[in-house]
Amino acid sequence: MAGLQDIRRRIRSVKNTQQVTKAMKMISAVKLRKSQERLVALRPYAGKMMDVVHRVVGRIKGDSEIQPGPAAQAFLTPREEKRIRVVLVASDKGLCGGFNANVLKAASAFAAETQAEIVHLDVVGKRAAEWARKRKLSATGEYLNTPLAGFQRVVTEISEGAAAQYHAGEIDALYVIYNYFNSPVAQTPTVFKVFPMELDRRAESREAAEVPHLLEPDPNAVLETLLPRFVETELLRNLLESSASEHGARMAAMDKASNNAGEMIAKLTLTMNKIRQASITNQIIEIVSGANA
Amino acid sequence: MSQTIKLEVVTPERPVFSAEVAEVQFPTASRGYYGILPGHTPLMTAVGDGLLYYVQDGQKHWLTVFGGFAEVGPDRVTILARESETVDMIDLERVEADRQHALKLLKEAQTEHDLASAQAALDASLIRLQAAGHPAGHGF
Repeated sequence: MAGLQDIRRRIRSVKNTQQVTKAMKMISAVKLRKSQERLVALRPYAGKMMDVVHRVVGRIKGDSEIQPGPAAQAFLTPREEKRIRVVLVASDKGLCGGFNANVLKAASAFAAETQAEIVHLDVVGKRAAEWARKRKLSATGEYLNTPLAGFQRVVTEISEGAAAQYHAGEIDALYVIYNYFNSPVAQTPTVFKVFPMELDRRAESREAAEVPHLLEPDPNAVLETLLPRFVETELLRNLLESSASEHGARMAAMDKASNNAGEMIAKLTLTMNKIRQASITNQIIEIVSGANA
Repeated sequence: MSQTIKLEVVTPERPVFSAEVAEVQFPTASRGYYGILPGHTPLMTAVGDGLLYYVQDGQKHWLTVFGGFAEVGPDRVTILARESETVDMIDLERVEADRQHALKLLKEAQTEHDLASAQAALDASLIRLQAAGHPAGHGF
């Protein structure tokens, strides 16, 4: 009879676990929706920002009288990448499948491959911070437990800093390693170069036909204020994508866990019933054979 | 040439405003206010903090803008604002509370940095109050 008790206890415990995973799945679904909404809301802004950057750069490129300043170089004549700044975005919490493992693997590969020296590393999320500690990389900036509403502050800090560093010649490029949000169930770890950037030529030729814009107060001042804003927008997009990916990954992982728990409960219930049946049969046999005797 | 301009104001959080208007005026970071009528020469500049107004059906309407970027074409004005609100979005009680808080911070500020951020918060709340105090149609 001890077997029956044990199995009952196990079923109860698996059921509890299933309840937890189901709840986590539901919470992740809500958070995923929130992140996605922010992402969708950012899209018109990001698109327009891209347009404006194209126009300004096309304008400066097309006019030989304008001397490109340091900010313009970020778009026009990239320096050789010797020192780079890297922003690594992972999650604060676990239980989200391969989300962290994949992006950290991509980060390791990037760190091993790159010719440049990583002079400045920002980590977003506890898992990223742990990864940096384990690999004995000193993270210059740590952003842990950032809520969705706090993203703006984080990206402003990083982008202002990065633009100033580029200006001062301390860094030659800014990279972000994060999970690209394909769909709620699919994420791709991605290494993204924020700047210097290659602008596609199509946009430039389109702009050439229009009357050139006046850039006030002067072209370089415009680019100098534009660059940190642009970097900020891109970073914000990356952070939101990562957040949406995280919740998507957690949702998928928890869905799987709930299903597994369901299967386990079914199996255990079957075993339990078999044992129960066996014991009843045994008792009947005992009674029958006792009566016969 | 069209008689209206398409005014679009977007922030990273949401598209704030988009409509055909007759006239726009917005604050710039370095050169005071720019007034834009249809057919304006293409222009790009950084936006400052302050009040933007547009004229639609002969009525003046106000928006707040805080930093960002403006792109002007002959038939459009696109404002990429760091923050922006229509008058409807402004919560007067909250702004008043912000203003009081900023005033308190301003008095207690010890460092140059504290002082600057308190002043910025105060300015932002004042701009919002000013916007809320301009119902549509007034201010000509």
